[in-house]
Order: sequence, then structure tokens, then C-alpha cells
Amino acid sequence: MAALRDFWRRYRRNKGAVVGLVVLASILLVAAFGPVIYPGNPWDMAGAPFQSPFGAENPLGTDTLGRDVATGIVHGARVSLLIGFVATLAAVGVGICVGAVAGYFGGRVDDLIMRLTEFFQTIPSFVFAVVLVAIFTPGIGSIVTAIAVVSWPAVARLVRGEFLTLRTREFVQASVVLGRSARHIIFVEILPNAISPIIVSASLMVATAILVESSLSFLGLGDPNMMSWGYMIGASRSVVRLAWWTSFFPGLAIVLTVLALNLVGEGLSDALNPRLSREGR
Amino acid sequence: MPSIHPLRAVAAGILLAASAALWPALAQAPAPAPARGGTMNIIISPEPPTLMLGINQTTPAAIVGGKIYESLLRYDFDLKPMPGLAKSWSVSPDGLTYTFKLQEGVKWHDGTPFTADDVVFSAKTYLTAVHPRSRPIFQRAETITAPDPLTVVFKLKGPFAPFLMAWEPSTAPIVPRHIYEGTDFRTNPANAKPIGTGPFKLKEWVRGSHIHLVRNDDYWQKGKPYLDEIYYRVLPDASARTVAMETGQTHLSAFADIETFEVPRLKAMPHLEMTTKGYEYLAQIVWLDFNLRAKPLDDRRFRQAVYHAIDRNFLRDRVWFGLGKPATGPIHSSIPHYDANVPKYAFDPKKAEALLDEMGLKRGADGVRARITMDQLPYGDVYVRAGEYIRQALGRVGIQVTLRSADVATWGDRVRNWDYEMTLQVLSQLGHPALGVSRLYVSSNIRKGVLFSNVNGYSNPRIDALFDKAAVSADAGEAQKMYTEIQKILVEDVPVAWLLELEFPTFIDKRFRNVVTSAIGVRDGFADAYMQR
Amino acid sequence: MERLEFIAQRTLKGIVVLLGIVVLNFLLIRLAPGDPAAVMAGEAGASDELFLQQLRQQFGLDRPLLEQLWAYVANILSFDFGFSYRQQRPVVDLLAERLPPTLLLTGTAFVLSLAAGVTLGVMAARRAGRWSDSAITVVALFFYATPLFWVGLMGVLLFSVTLGWLPAFGMGSVGVKLGGVERVIDVGRHLVLPALTLTLFHMAVYARMTRASMLEVRDQDFVRTARAKGVGEGEILRRHVLRNAILPVVTIAGMKAGYLLGGSIVVETVFAWPGIGRLAYEAVLQRDYNVLLGVFLVTSALVIAVNLATDVIYSLVDPRIELGA
Repeated sequence: MAALRDFWRRYRRNKGAVVGLVVLASILLVAAFGPVIYPGNPWDMAGAPFQSPFGAENPLGTDTLGRDVATGIVHGARVSLLIGFVATLAAVGVGICVGAVAGYFGGRVDDLIMRLTEFFQTIPSFVFAVVLVAIFTPGIGSIVTAIAVVSWPAVARLVRGEFLTLRTREFVQASVVLGRSARHIIFVEILPNAISPIIVSASLMVATAILVESSLSFLGLGDPNMMSWGYMIGASRSVVRLAWWTSFFPGLAIVLTVLALNLVGEGLSDALNPRLSREGR
Repeated sequence: MPSIHPLRAVAAGILLAASAALWPALAQAPAPAPARGGTMNIIISPEPPTLMLGINQTTPAAIVGGKIYESLLRYDFDLKPMPGLAKSWSVSPDGLTYTFKLQEGVKWHDGTPFTADDVVFSAKTYLTAVHPRSRPIFQRAETITAPDPLTVVFKLKGPFAPFLMAWEPSTAPIVPRHIYEGTDFRTNPANAKPIGTGPFKLKEWVRGSHIHLVRNDDYWQKGKPYLDEIYYRVLPDASARTVAMETGQTHLSAFADIETFEVPRLKAMPHLEMTTKGYEYLAQIVWLDFNLRAKPLDDRRFRQAVYHAIDRNFLRDRVWFGLGKPATGPIHSSIPHYDANVPKYAFDPKKAEALLDEMGLKRGADGVRARITMDQLPYGDVYVRAGEYIRQALGRVGIQVTLRSADVATWGDRVRNWDYEMTLQVLSQLGHPALGVSRLYVSSNIRKGVLFSNVNGYSNPRIDALFDKAAVSADAGEAQKMYTEIQKILVEDVPVAWLLELEFPTFIDKRFRNVVTSAIGVRDGFADAYMQR
Repeated sequence: MERLEFIAQRTLKGIVVLLGIVVLNFLLIRLAPGDPAAVMAGEAGASDELFLQQLRQQFGLDRPLLEQLWAYVANILSFDFGFSYRQQRPVVDLLAERLPPTLLLTGTAFVLSLAAGVTLGVMAARRAGRWSDSAITVVALFFYATPLFWVGLMGVLLFSVTLGWLPAFGMGSVGVKLGGVERVIDVGRHLVLPALTLTLFHMAVYARMTRASMLEVRDQDFVRTARAKGVGEGEILRRHVLRNAILPVVTIAGMKAGYLLGGSIVVETVFAWPGIGRLAYEAVLQRDYNVLLGVFLVTSALVIAVNLATDVIYSLVDPRIELGA
């Protein structure tokens, strides 16, 4: 409890992070309860096409087919956040396993794994993601997989670094002497001590994942059954001269969310790694 | 770049006022005689892979290659044949012998005289080897002979009504025998330096930028063509193409060059003229394809319900922005033997629901009666929007549609291997039902692995017999009766739901005249096009 | 000698990685569903089996996978990147004509973002804690959170559609013949929006990195010593802090070359810029295997080359670097 209060005291010191938290909380609320406020199906034609924003019927206007932009943004929040979180979870999962094995066992294993990680980091990641999604046909599964595949190496490197230092600590050495299994030491002894930087980098990774998903959707590689913010912009990019609002508002939603996530990430970094403080990144 | 330059707008205004003042005078005066000279800048997108029409029949290749290569005939807007490289032609009463008399004084671009031997070589040897669409047509010939240098005679194995419809440059380009005989047709270096008989010759091709054609001074129609040169500008981006037409940097756009939602704006521009003519030969129809092997799509009532649930006027107005006409059946209205007198499927969701109820497909707790997967046609934004509309429209009558998107290759694989439930398709009817329509419905063309065949598995012995007989009937009235029956049966059966007859906007800079003069429109040779001074 | 060995080692490593990428992409794409021959035949207007067979044979699609891979690798070694059956042209030609525009675009963006980013970062660090620092931080954070395509579209909306200052699409005006200097100016005007779009995001990254790096260096011992010796703040900044703070930023900028190239897919798509980013996008949509492989190889080779160059320069500039690390 005291630790939590201590954490909050340090987090609170970063004003940007507090603002970010408020914004993020509001976005999460919209994602959770939005469909209650806007119960309509975002794909339904809710009015005439190309209605200007700030009208009574369609506060943010309508798109080419007369679909309501506000409804789309509210429903899109779920899709964008879901993809961001799930992809990050997958990347972090893989990254932890790979990084932990490399850092814990060291030697040849470490060498091999690090070569592989380096290899994946050399490939231009967005180009790689585009190819993966295109080949495995656009869908929520392929998008999440592609984002995870290009994101895990960073986590792996981070975890490996943590493990390399923590492995030499006394409490780990003690466990080794006691004959505990490698799995036990990795997951029960070391991992909890390495969790802070992982959380920080995960929160930033969610932001990146949302950006990547929106770029993929923009290029027409989104899930055709999920209305995400990137899809909305991609679908209306050719009509930007006729109807600016169809790409402006979804873009604003992306910016706000990613900004909030970045701010929260910094706040977490301040609060969890007091020694690194703000210059850490 | 400003959407409309202020100065240009002022200038256009003055011009408009001036022309309004001159209008009565102009209306009386005869049209000015075509003058020689002028450069035409034309949009081309995507860039054609080659200009050799024998080995590539994509639209961009046909547009540019149609200026270089010619065929024996041309077609007016009603698809009646006109002279091309053939001056005249006759058909024997039994419908088996076709005799073409060729134009005199025709030369290839390299100066070699063109003769009947070139036509025989093209039809007999060249096209049957490389051209997938004309192979089955010319294989119907028993003999192809040249009794004299200006006469070609085709003797068919049996009557084939649409034989005279095959003579446009991308279906039957006439190629020079002296260059191709005895060579590997696909790798002949002349493919990169095309030699035709057409009004324009290739001067230079800067890949990714432009194709430069120049006047053929030795063209067989004396005094033509009028234009000195044509530049085809490669503009892959839709917005860039619109800007180029707005600002007068280019003078002609066609097919899907201009996005549908930009059409009303360009149409209103004083320096541009829009026409939807010149697509009669292609005659494209968009339809919703049902895989009849899947349940509940095998039930005719279900297909009829789907047809009733889709508002074709909405598709036309909101998705295609007014460009098109609701289709009434399998044959396009500009194609011979079209009959409008068939059962109609009005937009009527209530009737759709009644049909579904009758089938016993009741709404579940979630309001869903049936679930269908629909493959998105990967031909661009318009088809994505159309798919999204259909999903919503069917959702309203309780049919839940899940969209599946893919690249062109994957889509093609799924459809040709029958691994789909529903998809949009669009195809050209090639001037005659026997060429472009029967292939989709006769059971002999149910061929797994072949795209644009009878992929949905429709099989009806009566339809098979009618199509077979109609194609070889030498009597037009008799053929019409059979095609009318075909249309009635198919519309009743709804093997697919015909949505729209597509119209394409051709924008022409008003300084250019006589640009679209035939049923193949911008793919024709442009011998008559001229620039007004 | 040690340095040469280091460079040789790095080059060798780059080549191995490159070979790995060739194999990876080849397998990924060849194993994917979709028969390109069927689609080509379909677009030709009809697809009978004979025609399909001809196409498969023509493009070697009927041979075993391993054989195709082996042939591909062998060809790459002789700079034959295969043939694009969609565009009916050798892939090398396509790459050669599309690469210069991309290099122009990404090169401009690289220089601009680094210059602007470092300048902003230095300014922020010198005024750490004051309002101008906060302002710079907020701007950087904003662009860091903004999708490239959105910045691009909004730029088009503002500067092309509304104000009419800059062209929105392409790399040059259509249908006009321009001479030397005029042509350069014309291309320059077309370059502004796409280059700025690509710049802003990376500028934000470098500004934040520079600021952090400066603050870190500022508190290190050798700076404190200098300060204790009475060396002026300007001198300290120039001689000690800047150099040590910027080196890591430049290194990381080199490592981020891949991001610039990735971003160019989106930016070139938005602005109809005729580079390899757009080529990659077109190739993916059309499933043009050989083109896609070629683009991949070239992009990866560029990234590896830039990384290598960064390593080498770093080793030359900073004697403290541990060689072979």
C-alpha cells in the first residue's frame, strides 16, 4: 500500500503524465461505454453523404456513404485499442521468453538468440509488417501477428540486459545453489525484479502498435470488418478535398491516444525507475 | 497546386461569355474543317506492360496499342461494323464463308506493303498461338486463304454468328508477317518497337513517365491523322490525374482515371466535355456472384431475396456517383439481343424477408437468419464501398455478411477454385452474348481452376441448349427468340444478381474534336481526332 | 590494422544478414497462397489451361521451390533480380528508376530531421525547465504521436488545397517542358510537402534524444571538471557537451534508416511520389513476387549499408569506442 502511494507520489510529479492519464482514461471510458452513447452500427448509412460537421444529426459529419463519423470514431476506439494491447501483449510475451533464455543461459545460446534478434532488427520493420499482412491476408489476426513479429526484438534485448545483471545477484545465485529449476528461477525469482522497465516499454509499445495498425489500415491492409481509425482515414483519403472532416477527426483521435500513451509511459518510467528519471529515454 | 488558378478561372469566364455571345453565329456556321497539327496529352494509368496487343490485352495496352495496330473492322455506337483495314466484306447465305476486301496502298510503319498474307498469318498462325481470347474464334475456321493480295477468305467449320464482332485491335490485331514469321512471338524484339499499320507510330517510351507517339505520314487514309503527336502521361495517382485534367495539363481521361466522386465537379468545368460513349463494345456489368454449391445460396428463393434486398439505385447514386444504370439481366443493354422484357426485382426488403421466412430461415435471438462470407473484389475503392453497402443492406433483412479482403491473386485463386460463397464480379461482354455472356452460364464451361468461366456452377440443360443453338444460328430473328428465352429463364433463376451496367466518364478538353467516334472509344486509332484552332 | 579488421568483420556480417533476408523473404512470399499465372491470364481476357501453362513455364513458376530459390540467389549474385511479369520488365530496371526519387526524399528528410531535431534538442536542454523547453517538448511529443499519413493529408489540405502554395502530388509538373534550373525548382517544390511530412516525425525523435543526451552529458565528471576550471559555458557546450551528446544521436539516427524507408511507403503513397516505397506498395497489392523481393533486398541493403557507415564513422570520430563491440 505504501509502495503504491509512493509510486503515485512520484508519478504525480510529472504533470504531463497526469494529463496523459486523464486523457487515456477518458478514451478507455469512450471505448467501454461509447457504444451505449452511440448505439448505431458504425457501418450503417446514417444520413446523406458528405454532411458537414457540427450539425445536429451528425456532430462530426458523414462520409462517402453517409456513415456517421462520430459513431465510427467511438466504435473505432475499441478496435484500435484492442489491437494495440493484444499485439503488445504478444510481443512482450515472446520478447520476455526469448530475452530471458538468452540472458539467463548466456554463452552460445545467448549468442545465437542475439544474432537472430539483431537480424530481425535490421529488417525495415514497417516494410516487413506490410509484407506479412499482405501475404497472410488482412485480418485482425494477421495484423496483430505482424505487429508482434516486428516488435518483440526490442523487448527481448531489454529483458536480456536485465537478466544479465540480475543473474549475478546473490538471491539468484542462492536459488541456483538450492537446485531450483531454471524455469522457476526465470519466472519466479528474476522476472518480478525486471518487470518495471518491461511495463514502461510496453506502454510505449502500445502507442507504436496503434500507429502501425493505423498505417496498415490506411494502406488498405486493415480488417474489412473492423472499423478502426486508420481505416476511416484510408477510406476517405481520396475525398480529402471534398470532405476534410472524414480524415481530420479520426486522425485527431489517433494523435490524442498515442500522445496520452507516450505521456503515461514517461510517467511510469519516472515513477518506476527513479534513478533513470526523465532523461532515461 | 491550386484547384483552380484564379487567372484561369477569369480567363475561362471571359471565354465562356465570349462563346455565349458568339453562340448564335457558331450554331449557323458549318463545323470548321479539321486542321492538321496539335499535340494531345492523354492520361494513361496504369502504365501498359507492352504495346504489342497480340500478347497483352489489358486496357492500357489496348488504349495505346490501338493507335499503332489496326484490325479489319471498326464498330459504330450501335456495334454495326464499319470499314477498317477491310474496305468491304460479305457473308455467304449459309453463314460459313466470310470474304474481306482490303484497303489499297496500306504500308507497315517500316515501309513494307501490307497484304492479305499478313491477315492470313495473323489469324491462322500468330493469334491462335498467343492470343487466348481469339484462339477459340479462329480455330472455328476450316481454311483461311488469300486468293489475291487484297482478298481474304475465311471458311468456317460451322456457322458462328458473332464472327464479325471479333475484328477490333485488341481482339484481332493484324501483325506484320515479315517480322514475326518463324520467330518466338513472345520474345521477338519487335514487341518493344511495335510495327503496325495505324495512324500513329511509337517514337519514344520513357518508362514511368510518358509514351510519345508521332503522326504516321504514310497512313492509308490520305490527309489523316490530323494530330502531329500524342503524349501518354503515366499518372498513377488518382488525385494527380484529376488535377492534371482540371488545369489543362492533360486533354483526355477515360475509364476509371477520374474517381467517381470527382466526376460531378469536373463535369461542371467549362473547358471539359464529358461523354459516356465509346464503351459499347466492352459493355461491363457488375454482378453479385453466388456460389451455388453452398447453402443456402443453392436455394433460388434465397438469391431472389438477396436481389430484392439490394437497392441498385443507391449503389449507382452513392457508390458510383450516378455513373451507371441498374442492370436488368445477364445481357448488357448495348449488346445485340438484349431484351428488357424480363421479370423485375424491385428494391423491396419486406419481400426479401417474406421469401426468407418462406424458406424457414427465421431470425435467431441475435436477429440473424443466415451467415455468409463475401470476398471483396480487389479492384479499388469503389468495389470496397459497394461491398460495405451490400453487407449493410443484407444485414437489414437478417443476412449477416462477413467481408474477406485479399490481393488480386488470392481473390482469383479463391474464385477460380470455387472456394468462396459470395463475391462481386465485373466483366466485359465483348460485343456479343456468344462471346462474353454464355461463358458464364453454360455448364460445359464449369472448369475448376479457370477464372471468368462458369465459376458458380450454374447448370441448366435448357440454357446450355439455347446458348449452343443461338451461337450457330445464321438467322438473326431466330437467334433473338432464343436469347429472349435465355434472359427470361436466367432472371427467374438469379444464378447471380446483376447490379449495374457500368458507365465510364470520358473527359475531353473542348479544343479537341472527333475524339470518340466508335464503340471502342479511346482504344480506337484517333485518325479523325483534331485540334480546334 | 585493427580498424580494417573491424570494418571487414562488419561488412561480412552485413552480407550474411542480407543473404538471410533473401532466403526469408523468398520463402515467405513463395509459400503464400495465390497463383499469379491465373490472374495474369484472367486479365488477358480468358484463361485456358494452355495459356496458364505457357505463363507458368515462362516465369519458372512450375519448378520446385528449392530450385527456384537457388536460381534466385544465383541470379542476385549476378545482379539479375528477375523479371516482373506484371510490368513485363526486368526488376533491376524498375528498382533503378524508382530508387533515386526515394533517395532524394529520404535523404532530404534525414538531413532536415537531424538538423532540426538536434537544434531543437540543444535549445530545449539549454533552457531545461523553462517554458521554451516545455514548448519544444510538447511540439516534439505531438509530432511523435502523429501518424505520417495524417500529417501528409493535413499538409495537402492546408498548403495545396486551401492556400495553393505547393503542389500536392507527383515529382514534377505534367505536360510542361522545363529546362535545367526550372526543372530543379519544379522538383524542389514537389519535394517540400513529402519531405516535411517525413521530417517532422523523425525531428521529434531526434529532438527528444538530443535533449536527454545533453542533460546526461552535462552532469558528467569531465564537464564538471571543466566548469570548475572556470571554462565559459559557451565553450563547455561547444567543446565538451555537444560533441559527446550528439554522437550517440547520430549513431541512432543511422540505425533508424529503416524507419525512414518504411515511412516512405506511406508518404510516397500519399503524395504519389514515384519511389520504391510506392513500388513496394504496388507490388504487394499485385503480388508481384520478384519486384517485392527486389524492393526488400534493396531496402535491407540500404539499411545495412547505412548501419555499416555509421559504425565506421563512429569508430573514426570517437577513439573511445571499443572496436568489435
